[in-house]
Amino acid sequence: MDCISTPVATADTRPRLTARLAALPRGDASLFRLLFGAALLALALGLAGGFVTALARARALNLFGDDAYRVLTLHGVSVFFYWLYLIQAALLLVLAAAENGRGLALRPLAWLGAALMLAGFAASEWISAIGTPLLYDGSPELAVDDPRSVGVFALGYLLLSAGLAAAAVSGIATLLQPRRRGEAEAFSAIGFALFAWAGFLIVSAIAATNAFLPGLLWALGAGPFPADHGTEWHILFHNLHYLPLMATVLVWYVLTQHLTGVTSIHGARLSKIVFAAYLVFVPPTSLYHMFLEPNLSESVRVVGSLLSLFVSVPTLAAFAIIVSSLEASARARGATGLFGWMKGLPWRNPAMANMGWAVVNMLVGITFAFVLIQEKLAPMLSDTFFVPGYFHFFAVGVLTQTFLAALMVILPALGGGALWRPDLLRRMPALVTLGLLIFGTAGIAAGVMGVPRRVFDVGYGGMAPAAWPVLMALVGVGATLFAVALSVSVYGVVRTLLSRRAPATAESRRVDWTDGQRGVGAVPAWTGPLSVAVLIATMYVATIVAFEIIQSLPIVAIGGGHGH
Amino acid sequence: MSERHVTTRRGFIAALGFSAVSLYGAWAAYGAAPLPFGGHKGAAASEPDAHDGHGGGHGGHGAAEAPAEPAGHAGHGAAAGMTPEEFRSAHDAFVERFTQKDGSADPHAAVEAHAHGGHGHAGAGHDHASMGAAMVAAAEPVDVYLMAQKFAYSPDVLRLKAGQPYRFRMMADDITHGASIQLGSASRIIRLRPNVVTEQTITFTKPGAYLVYCTVYCGPAHDAMQGRIVVG
Amino acid sequence: MKMTEELWLVVAIAAVWAALAAVYALVPSLGMPGYVRVWGGGAALFLLLAAVLAAAGWTARRG
Repeated sequence: MDCISTPVATADTRPRLTARLAALPRGDASLFRLLFGAALLALALGLAGGFVTALARARALNLFGDDAYRVLTLHGVSVFFYWLYLIQAALLLVLAAAENGRGLALRPLAWLGAALMLAGFAASEWISAIGTPLLYDGSPELAVDDPRSVGVFALGYLLLSAGLAAAAVSGIATLLQPRRRGEAEAFSAIGFALFAWAGFLIVSAIAATNAFLPGLLWALGAGPFPADHGTEWHILFHNLHYLPLMATVLVWYVLTQHLTGVTSIHGARLSKIVFAAYLVFVPPTSLYHMFLEPNLSESVRVVGSLLSLFVSVPTLAAFAIIVSSLEASARARGATGLFGWMKGLPWRNPAMANMGWAVVNMLVGITFAFVLIQEKLAPMLSDTFFVPGYFHFFAVGVLTQTFLAALMVILPALGGGALWRPDLLRRMPALVTLGLLIFGTAGIAAGVMGVPRRVFDVGYGGMAPAAWPVLMALVGVGATLFAVALSVSVYGVVRTLLSRRAPATAESRRVDWTDGQRGVGAVPAWTGPLSVAVLIATMYVATIVAFEIIQSLPIVAIGGGHGH
Repeated sequence: MSERHVTTRRGFIAALGFSAVSLYGAWAAYGAAPLPFGGHKGAAASEPDAHDGHGGGHGGHGAAEAPAEPAGHAGHGAAAGMTPEEFRSAHDAFVERFTQKDGSADPHAAVEAHAHGGHGHAGAGHDHASMGAAMVAAAEPVDVYLMAQKFAYSPDVLRLKAGQPYRFRMMADDITHGASIQLGSASRIIRLRPNVVTEQTITFTKPGAYLVYCTVYCGPAHDAMQGRIVVG
Repeated sequence: MKMTEELWLVVAIAAVWAALAAVYALVPSLGMPGYVRVWGGGAALFLLLAAVLAAAGWTARRG
């Protein structure tokens, strides 16, 4: 036998997560639905903006000048700030409330946080639509003669930050309630991860305030022009990368337990160390975003590059914990064959399909991320389409698909209807990944050739290589495919959110691998180490190819620049 | 509980987490990371952006790196430590002195006037595509000034010679720009911050017309911001 | 006070962040005062969270 024979959980064996969600106070459920709805609106706006941007870059749409960059701004602001932060705030609160078992603590603060974030959302979208296009980093130097755009843009992010901090404090208080009641002496692994994540969200709010308060003060005439915005932005930008990645891994833990009944076979302590490692490793690894900055000294570049090698430690460790726990549990139930155990996973459940394909996207994304963290390759790749080429594997393939997977489980349990057309939704992640592979392959190739990140017409009057427009057309093809497939997923989740039908008699399929713990881990679990070995091999290939290309260029260049 | 297989032990899982650090090996092999125990790919480690189109060494370029070697260019009055004002003044003088009838700037066009400190930069005999690394290293760099501003470069066309090192001094005049050079299979990207003088010593090893373009969004006509380096 | 593993981990996070903020503060040539504010603020926050964690455990034991 090369697969596992496993019972499918029936509707009457409701797992802990959905049972606890269903029992939450009605007021909390309303808050969660409001935040999930706002997050999905931001995702829909961002998806539309991204799709139009990709079509314009593929020359399938004629969009130039301010209009084009306004659409690009809307895309970035909607997805990278409001989709990712709103969904994180919502997931933090809902998972903390479920962990507590009695709903939210400091409920008014959570509502205040939601109100502030929504006010920020409105301000940011409005100014992005009508103001000077500032892209998602809101650089004030682009609008020195338009303080209103700078001020309102900064105000939007500051409101978001304030709301995020308020929601995180409510989440922390919620997580601590069982301890204060004497019902628990320690967090579960997920509880500790939520606690650390909430702290990290507050730090992200501090970083956003550090980056955008000077812009608001300048716009109000109360401060000097924020000439150093670029450096301050990088700190927030780095947080923006790893905060949702930590949230993703946390959601994988939650979903794995929900969909299979499996918890870590390595104990809660190792998981807590791994989640703490996110916070330990993130700050020292932040310098690689600045490798092109002329002010950065060579020694800092070298040290920054070396430290960046550690950026994947917690993510790969968490991946190894989850995969080895699943495989060992499956083998303890009799699964055989190198990869046969995976057939036993509940792939017919759209949440499982989204999570599974998210892992594939993560491995692809990490491969190319590690090309970019090498400071000597930065002069070839930074500021090119290589960057969106690889990070869409993360932003869409990993983060968005994981968070949608969470919603597919949480929304029906919160009192919405049954999940909309699960048989259709479970097919979307493969299509999204296919689209991303086309988008990413063409985009990364274009980036290596030098196609800039933010130029709509890459013809340069015939001076540009002939391959550039062709590659950007392929980027448009890939974007169309994943945008359509992702839209179906988003539509399904929105339908589920808005549905008033009672949940179906049977929940989406799960398996129960909680039995069979006897002897777990006694036989080899090769999937994790083999996956990592393949990852390292592809990272080596990608890095070597990049070095070979940069060394083959008809130029000898010395000095990364220095300044005052 | 029965004995765990090695692949399901905590230590093994933790080690997997650190596995990507092994990419250091590839970096070190290309001289892109310092080696332990004092081992050092000297030139590559200290001059990270140097790379040779012929796959050969390039240690000789070390002497051309402006920050490390301000001496020998005292005649310029500006090497490491050039202020934005000094840059603007030098840029204006460069454009005025070397602009040709077709609008391009050729720093070799009036080499006598450009000579300084008793040594010229004519680069005579260095204009061949097959210029070897040793000859490249031997030549003194010629100063070139490039100013980026909305939405053009000044000068927008530069005429240079293959094999001749040029000390590019670059600065953005208003807001952040890029000055990226398209070199065929890839580009070399330079980010220019306003009022920050950036220096790179660049040698083109093959003749051709190279597109220079902005890689940092700078406003509505960002797409049109381009220039050219014609290497003969 | 009993130092649980959770408390240790949160204190460790605060310590790393504080060290990083100190480096950026003590080497001004790095030119990144924002790092001092953000990572220093983060260190203070996680120290506060460690205190809250300890207080919650203390409250539970007394109650």
